[in-house]
Amino acid sequence: MAGILKHLCGIETPEVLVFGITGRQGISCSRLMGGFGTRIAAGCTPGKAGQEVDGVPVYNSASEAVQAHPEVNSAVFFVPAGAIAEAVFDAMDAGIKFLVITADGLATHDSIKIREKARETGAKCLGPNTVGMLDTDGYLFGLIGGKASWARQNYLPGKVGVISRSGGLSQLLAAFHCRKNLPGPRKDGSFGPLWGDNYPGLSAVMCVGGDPVPGITLLDAARAFELDPRTEVMAVYAETGTTQENDLAEAITLGEIKKPVVVFLGGKYTRAGVAQSHAGAMIRNPNETYQAKKQALERAGAKVVDRPDAVFAATAEFF
Amino acid sequence: MPALPEYKTRVLLENHGVPLAHASFYSVMPEILPKPVVFLKAQIPGATSRAGKGLVRRASTPEEISNGLKELLAVDNCHGVLAADAVDIRKEFYAACLLDFGDGNRLPGGVILFSTQGGSGIEERSGSLEKMYFSLLNPPSAEKIALQLPDVTERVELSGFLHGMINTFIGYKLIVLETNPIAVLPDGSLIAVDCRAEFEKQSVSKEDAHLFELPESTVDDSTPLEKAVEKINAADPAGTGFFRSSREQIPCGAIAVATNLCGGGGKMLWEMATGGRSDISTLNESDTSGGLSAFKSYRILRVIMSQPEARVLILTGSGMAFQSQYHLASAVWKALRESPEPLPCLLRFGGTDQDKAMELMAAVEKSLPVRIKSFIPEIFPNAMIDQLEELAADVRVKQEYVPAKGELAFELNSPPGRFIYHPENNPDGIEPSCIRECPTGFLLWKNGRIEANPLAKCTGCLVCETVSLLLGNGELTIDLDLDLPGEVG
Repeated sequence: MAGILKHLCGIETPEVLVFGITGRQGISCSRLMGGFGTRIAAGCTPGKAGQEVDGVPVYNSASEAVQAHPEVNSAVFFVPAGAIAEAVFDAMDAGIKFLVITADGLATHDSIKIREKARETGAKCLGPNTVGMLDTDGYLFGLIGGKASWARQNYLPGKVGVISRSGGLSQLLAAFHCRKNLPGPRKDGSFGPLWGDNYPGLSAVMCVGGDPVPGITLLDAARAFELDPRTEVMAVYAETGTTQENDLAEAITLGEIKKPVVVFLGGKYTRAGVAQSHAGAMIRNPNETYQAKKQALERAGAKVVDRPDAVFAATAEFF
Repeated sequence: MPALPEYKTRVLLENHGVPLAHASFYSVMPEILPKPVVFLKAQIPGATSRAGKGLVRRASTPEEISNGLKELLAVDNCHGVLAADAVDIRKEFYAACLLDFGDGNRLPGGVILFSTQGGSGIEERSGSLEKMYFSLLNPPSAEKIALQLPDVTERVELSGFLHGMINTFIGYKLIVLETNPIAVLPDGSLIAVDCRAEFEKQSVSKEDAHLFELPESTVDDSTPLEKAVEKINAADPAGTGFFRSSREQIPCGAIAVATNLCGGGGKMLWEMATGGRSDISTLNESDTSGGLSAFKSYRILRVIMSQPEARVLILTGSGMAFQSQYHLASAVWKALRESPEPLPCLLRFGGTDQDKAMELMAAVEKSLPVRIKSFIPEIFPNAMIDQLEELAADVRVKQEYVPAKGELAFELNSPPGRFIYHPENNPDGIEPSCIRECPTGFLLWKNGRIEANPLAKCTGCLVCETVSLLLGNGELTIDLDLDLPGEVG
């Protein structure tokens, strides 16, 4: 069974280049990713070519790495925000088609240029400001889970595709769908297990990041889950700011997204011009408010909940 | 967004060849006054509609110039005065470069807002402005810009001017760049008469930092507690440690809640649980996340607990943090032991080591001066707040914390803290359990003393102190200095 990247960007088996592999975060996240089953082909840190990290060879640039490892098709970046744009362009120029940018604090100009460059080169960028993605087919990019053993224990194969604009809530929505006897508010008003030992499980979780200019959007991710035969329901954490939810609603209305979509919509009380949670949640125009998004999503047929613990009860209804 | 006043924005435009009205900047009263006729413009970041507020004055005589300069230099938060030569304006245009966030059908990029009707009353006419979208990656040439401009006599000059604006906007990664008005002079040339910019701090390169430096604001509305957190962050910059006091009045009868929220998810969950309720008043915004040390968590918790109106503290993240919840629980325990007025707490631990965090709080609960209730992550803040009223009824406890003296084992700068060894609690002089429990191997037991391992790093997790107090005999404590002028009492 191929993972979600097949449907997002045609990659069946990710072969990963890790930027910043020689740094503290690069080393720890590479161990997490490798420990979960991700195939790390090479690392890249300018000026450190010739070194190895846990047996992974390090190169000065993406083009050098891809020349030595032509199987490389994806990249993850653990480099400071100020150096991201250059590193991402390097990777895209080397032909890498899936990129994960974990750093926050990118200049908005850089995020926009990355989006433009991705369009030019046909690459797909997850982030910036994302914890990454995890597929229960056996690979993860980024920080999800913190430890490989914990990730393997908490993210189990199943039917729910999770998409989220928040790192913490990505992990929460994904892990809780994999818990036996998860308690929550039930339809009859009682509080108790929403399901028994037969938890719904997870196909993949994709955090699109909390910035105002995401690479892969909620809709891009939803399109991939729509094509993914494992996924029966999508559980989405959405919020105010950007037009991602509006675009998703339009795609549902047009029949492009047919699978059930449960949206936990945050930002009910967020005021215009205030970044309540993430930088991308700032409301810049009337289409970006909680009310506008709720209306658009509900009209399209998505199930919208505004209590976080109600998400699981809502997805459970589809099984 | 930080705003650059006109005198600073002029430098950016000048560096990209955009023509400007001749002007001189004065931060103090000059010995030689500019020659009349000039417009005196107070330089205040973010100020708009300055003319209507008396912050722009036409001065036709030396006396008017002198008086105007004196008065404007005395205005709050005024960096100085720009004295711009009066010019003969034949026609005016308006232009601004902004970021466009795009939508489902349009890629993000830049956009020029443009008007052939000049700049006055532009806010009211914003709906009728021409919009020209452009790529940040492949910006348009002057020729391409000319093709998009409305049919005006000055099309060639204007396209060159706008090209310079776009280069400035992209070159310095600005959020807003406005020239208002662009004046057409009798010879047909164009100049920017006024301008302003907004920028993101993270976009400023090291080489350009001097161009964006602004004098410290004379209007500082930050609270003493916010200043205390600024100091904490300056001394221990790793990870996010955000705190902001609410400026709103506590509604009559509402429960005042101090919050320690972790990450965007934690903030959003709290807002969703309480945003519409008038019976719960959130005293502060906060975010402790991004791998901050437990030392820093402790210090920020102390700030949060020191809010005099607070009745209860709530701590929650999204419920699935990578940050060790055990380390966080250690910080909570320490803050509750050492705060002069600790708060009853609702604590939700979720993520790495959450079970150890719950065990710790259960083990120490009875020894605490206040009541606490700990929650597993499956219980969300909307359910936790059902317990608020009960805890808020408790009388606020006062205690005096006197640290045991001991001997200074060593002092760390990063993260900052003083490790104190208590030989009186280790009469047999054997290796204390806290040494073995240090997760990074930073603590060494040598010659009957605790030392720092030069080959290892302290992450400021507080495990050593927690173990020492809980499982050991109190052989090691950590003194975390805190400059907290606003502390209760």
